[in-house]
Amino acid sequence: MDIGTISLLLLVAMLVLLAIGMPLGFASAVLAVFVLVLKFGPDVLFRDFGSGPLNILSQRIYGLLTDYVLISIPLFIFMASLLERSGIAKDMYSSLNVWLNHTRGGIAIVTSLMAVVMAAMSGIIGGEVVLLGLIALPQMLRLGYNQDLAIGTICASGSLGTMIPPSIVLIIYGLITETSIKALFSAAFVPGFILAGCIILYIIVRTQMNPELAPLPEPQPGDPTPREKSLYFAGFLSVLLVGFAGALFLRTLFFTLTGQNAFVEGVDPITYGTADYLPWFGGAVLVGLALIFFAIGRERTRTGWDMGKGLVAPIVVIGVVLGSIYGGITGITEAAGMGVIAVFVISVLRGEASVELVWDSLLRTLKSTGTIIWVTIGATALAGAYTIAGGPTYVANLIIGADLPTLGILMVMMLIFLFMGAFMDWVGIVLLVMPVFLPIVLKLPVEEIGVFGPMVDATTFVPIWFGILFCVNMQVSFLSPPFGPAAFYLKSVAPPHITLPEIFRGFLPFICIQLFVLMLVLFFPEITMFFRT
Amino acid sequence: MSSTATVRILDWLVPLAFVACASWVIWNGPAYILAFGDVNDALALRHAPAGALDWVALAAMPTLAILGIFTVRTAPMEDDDIRGLDRLSLFLGRVTMLLIALLVSVMFYEVIVRYVFEKPTLWANELSLWIAGFIFLFSGLYAMQQRSHIRIFLLYDVLPRPLQKLCDIISTGLIVVFAAALYYGAYGEAAAKFLRWETFGTAFDPPIPATMKPLILVAISLVALQAVSNLIMDWNKAPEHHSPADEIDEQEIAAIKRTLGSDN
Repeated sequence: MDIGTISLLLLVAMLVLLAIGMPLGFASAVLAVFVLVLKFGPDVLFRDFGSGPLNILSQRIYGLLTDYVLISIPLFIFMASLLERSGIAKDMYSSLNVWLNHTRGGIAIVTSLMAVVMAAMSGIIGGEVVLLGLIALPQMLRLGYNQDLAIGTICASGSLGTMIPPSIVLIIYGLITETSIKALFSAAFVPGFILAGCIILYIIVRTQMNPELAPLPEPQPGDPTPREKSLYFAGFLSVLLVGFAGALFLRTLFFTLTGQNAFVEGVDPITYGTADYLPWFGGAVLVGLALIFFAIGRERTRTGWDMGKGLVAPIVVIGVVLGSIYGGITGITEAAGMGVIAVFVISVLRGEASVELVWDSLLRTLKSTGTIIWVTIGATALAGAYTIAGGPTYVANLIIGADLPTLGILMVMMLIFLFMGAFMDWVGIVLLVMPVFLPIVLKLPVEEIGVFGPMVDATTFVPIWFGILFCVNMQVSFLSPPFGPAAFYLKSVAPPHITLPEIFRGFLPFICIQLFVLMLVLFFPEITMFFRT
Repeated sequence: MSSTATVRILDWLVPLAFVACASWVIWNGPAYILAFGDVNDALALRHAPAGALDWVALAAMPTLAILGIFTVRTAPMEDDDIRGLDRLSLFLGRVTMLLIALLVSVMFYEVIVRYVFEKPTLWANELSLWIAGFIFLFSGLYAMQQRSHIRIFLLYDVLPRPLQKLCDIISTGLIVVFAAALYYGAYGEAAAKFLRWETFGTAFDPPIPATMKPLILVAISLVALQAVSNLIMDWNKAPEHHSPADEIDEQEIAAIKRTLGSDN
């Protein structure tokens, strides 16, 4: 049968199977069989038991299961579920709040900042919206913040988890399109921060124009003045400097004393571990100590440390996860494993860890892993079968042959993503639509992508840019009615008088911000290319 | 009711013992292949037939599995109504959970010896890959038992109950069709690689192809069986209305609230 008919039948069959409520992964898997039957005919397919073209399915699944990067998914989920059950988030909120509570709209800004920090620790949403809803929403409502502003801030910022690296959306995208996940993570940073920045800017502008939206707390006697605050903050930073440089110093000293970092021809020296780093690390420790004892003073430093220590745990976790990825020390999978350990050790130190906590987190990890991985397994089988049948090439040629304007094609894709995002989980969209859309995008004339055509001398960057574009699209889908998951997560922890329509109403300006950033990435792909190597 | 019920020693000890026995049996897989009389010269050159300890481990596996199946308890986040196959799926779920913990430990060990002591192991990466394969496959069985595989309920929810049942029959039937098709295509390769005990071809050389290829078929059969079991179990249930709110786990939120303290 020709591929055009197969594609059409596949589309119809997929819609029917999804409509009758068949699990997405299995619908894809059985359609893979269906495509192979149409392509090869039952005679060839069922000639010998135990072999034949149907073996493609098992080979694709085996290939997926032995992909090292895929291991990072259960690890990141495990880390997030340990994280949401620890008090790290609450302490971080208290610390951030101390520095910003007398700024107009301060708690909303703190909420966004906290969401960014949490996004840099974990790669999923849900837990983040729930935590922010429990910690920040009562405070904002108590102070008399505008309800729409409070709700929108929490959910829009809470969704950043899948935008700012590490992000599970980008990991799955990278796996399915065979794009470098590290490159995706690097590319997502600037758009992620632009999105967060726009949210914070919006809060500042709105609350400055209309101060009633965000009343300030009553000043308490004994509150530190802004000047004192900055000294406290400097004290806190000095302590961090001493701690961090001290740890590196001891590590290097250990290597030097044991002679492990002696220069050997042909062997790469230990990263930041050779003897010539010793004076630098030692010097940094001395500078920090000098600041604490002579410039800032011990008392102030101690106060500053007490005010800021809630930030230490998140900094450590981010340092471990993102630091080891970007520092080129480990791959993404090891970084995720280290993240789990870091969060676990912190929660042991905080006295929160217990057998029950770990058991519970493992249960949740298992369930989420099964859900995500098996959609991936089904989609992999389908993508394999459809590729053998020549599907992606056919669709790409069809669209390109239609001679549509490049921008028009991209816009239609964005609309399809936004529409599907309103009804479907991101994982389904990336797995079902990407194998068809990305080949089309790759065939588009590169000089027509972006206002200044930055892809011309970086054609390998197209899949990475498109992944980021998709990621921003999914930001919108977390908020878009009728099924935006962020709304339901917030509803589950908000005071009962806040209804779902009210929550969605609060999202509107934030959806506009997300769409603005989406257009920014679409027209100026340059902003995803800062980390290009 | 407390949302985090206490975990009894039995809850994790039986799965842990099962993991230990299963690891022994899988690692010494060729010993059993030889013992069961499959004439395989290449294998016989490299491995000895099964000894006493191997047989003890092999016998302990089903014993522990049965013990686990009878003692497995539902966690607060799981449905209490478990019968027949559900118990096996839950037990294997507990086993898989321990594998996740094991995976983290292996990676931790590797990172410590590689970056602190600068003496990387040869085996840790491939062992992680191998363990992860088991986790991926059996997490799907657990997700099936928990009915948490992603579905779209837009149309399904507005259908009358008899039609919903028809839809369920069709989708369960198709899952079985897929399992059968996978067998049809992959049985030959899986059996050959298992009997040859094909390894990964690296320094540590774990038998990943020999174990994962058959395991894909085992896992898909269990998932298909569980799907049929779900169909039977849910047959007389009242029609449910689904919304994204179902995704939210009340137990989890209660637990988070407790962590955050009562002042919020």
